[in-house]
Amino acid sequence: MEAVSIQNLSKTYPGGKEALKRLSLSLSEGEVFGFLGPNGAGKTTTVKLLTGVLAPSGGRCDIMGVDPNVQPEKAHLLSGIVTEHAQMYDHLTGMENLIFYAAAFGLGQKEGKERSESLLRELELTEAKDRKLAAYSTGMRQRLSLARALLHRPKVLFLDEPTSGLDPESAQNVNQMIHNMARKEGIAVFLCTHQLRYAQEICTRYGLIEQGALLASGTIEELRDRIFPSKSLRICASAVPERLNFSKCGANEFETKIRVKKEIPGLVRKIVEAGEDIYSVTLMEPSLEDIYFALTAGRKGDQTI
Amino acid sequence: MKTAMYAVIKKDFRGVAGNRRLFSTLFIVPLVLTIAMPSVFIITMHFVPDGLNVNVEKLLSLLPETARMESLELTVSGMVFNYILPVFFLVIPIMTASIMAASAFVGEKERHTLETLLYCPLTLRQIFQAKVWASFLLSMLVSLISFTAMLLVIETELFFLSGRLLIPSVSWLVVMLLLSPAISLIAVTLIVRESAKAQSVEESQQAAVFLVLPIILLAAGQFTGVLLMSVWILLGLGIVCAILAWIFLQKSMGRFTYERLLQ
Repeated sequence: MEAVSIQNLSKTYPGGKEALKRLSLSLSEGEVFGFLGPNGAGKTTTVKLLTGVLAPSGGRCDIMGVDPNVQPEKAHLLSGIVTEHAQMYDHLTGMENLIFYAAAFGLGQKEGKERSESLLRELELTEAKDRKLAAYSTGMRQRLSLARALLHRPKVLFLDEPTSGLDPESAQNVNQMIHNMARKEGIAVFLCTHQLRYAQEICTRYGLIEQGALLASGTIEELRDRIFPSKSLRICASAVPERLNFSKCGANEFETKIRVKKEIPGLVRKIVEAGEDIYSVTLMEPSLEDIYFALTAGRKGDQTI
Repeated sequence: MKTAMYAVIKKDFRGVAGNRRLFSTLFIVPLVLTIAMPSVFIITMHFVPDGLNVNVEKLLSLLPETARMESLELTVSGMVFNYILPVFFLVIPIMTASIMAASAFVGEKERHTLETLLYCPLTLRQIFQAKVWASFLLSMLVSLISFTAMLLVIETELFFLSGRLLIPSVSWLVVMLLLSPAISLIAVTLIVRESAKAQSVEESQQAAVFLVLPIILLAAGQFTGVLLMSVWILLGLGIVCAILAWIFLQKSMGRFTYERLLQ
């Protein structure tokens, strides 16, 4: 069974703004899906539709077979949600907040306390657990929200900009935790972010969205093959035979375009057979950022035409 | 999902208890109505010079035999205690309810905690009912504490001033067990519902204040004698209010959606 399934999902707000246009995608268990796009692209709207707090204007979606629009409370039991607008209570301590949400999710008193303590330890908040939330920094709040979302061991985790406000070390810990959860516990993670480098670190598949429309989706390799059919190969060598069509891009640096990785050994062999020395071989693969900008630039070009 | 609803109720209770400003506001009106006001009556009646009581005595001679007691002071105190105060007492559950219930949804919205609450595995109706129960129980608790405090203060004052104790009439039983809970439930349900629509706690509280108006009219009627509330009228009113409260509780949240709440 798919953890999340979306078919032709659309949302038009009462004011007439079309926030989502016939979105279709799916997530399997254990997958970390990066939903990428600029602010206002429709990422948060998608999360709200998937969690049942917004009603779709068209299409349908489900979480582990449960339609969040029909049975939101059942969908909430299956999912953990971290968004910027889902805050916790300032007058309660970190621990009290978690114990409240544990009870709200139906966990027994003892189980709720143990689970809260274990998550606080994992997210390095044990020392701050008895401090009122009002005294927490943005990063600490963010980590506590993650702990709150994980209390009831959800099957799907929705994260809307989870590492914004985190220092690099905490962001790395959170990344590691998300990665482990997906791999070891089979949790499907739906991660919304506009931080493409961050997404590339932990996601196994991506969906790129702009102005409510899905531009592309797939693994990074699939996206690279689709957007950049040829790749740059950079070789540092004493010299390269001219017939191989390399362009010089620095002292002893040469670059050429290849379509598949399998071309590399042949090229290397020919350079060595020509009696030249090779110091390094680098396949310049486009980053997620490159793919995203290429996609959005293409779209803008289409619109201009 | 009773555990979850109980958790919401407990959390809301703690929210009020932990907020000193709100907590003190909660007790100001009950203190004035149940301790300060009756005390002023009783002490004034005791210290007023005898000559000035002639007109009052004439007035009281119009009362039925059963309402008269051995002294003028006790008769007036009895009238105030058993006829005027029960109606005034009804202001307490409404005021208490308005303080807590007015922020039920809109307070969560202002603190950005509403969305998190909506992500819990509770239906909107369950969240609504948990909010109503929290405010209702608090208003009942304040009413009970106020009644006990009032009884203690009035009886002590009367005992020291006139050496007698007053027995509360059956009206108090009807007020405490039927009318006060029913009115409180109506007020809480309407205010929580209004709170779900309001954009700020102030807006919600302003709307809640209007619920006190019918009680003030009843109190005015009681003072002037236009409508003297006998125990039967109170009982009838209590039954009507209890039925209304049940209907409101069942129907109030019908048209609400997550989307509307988060607007």
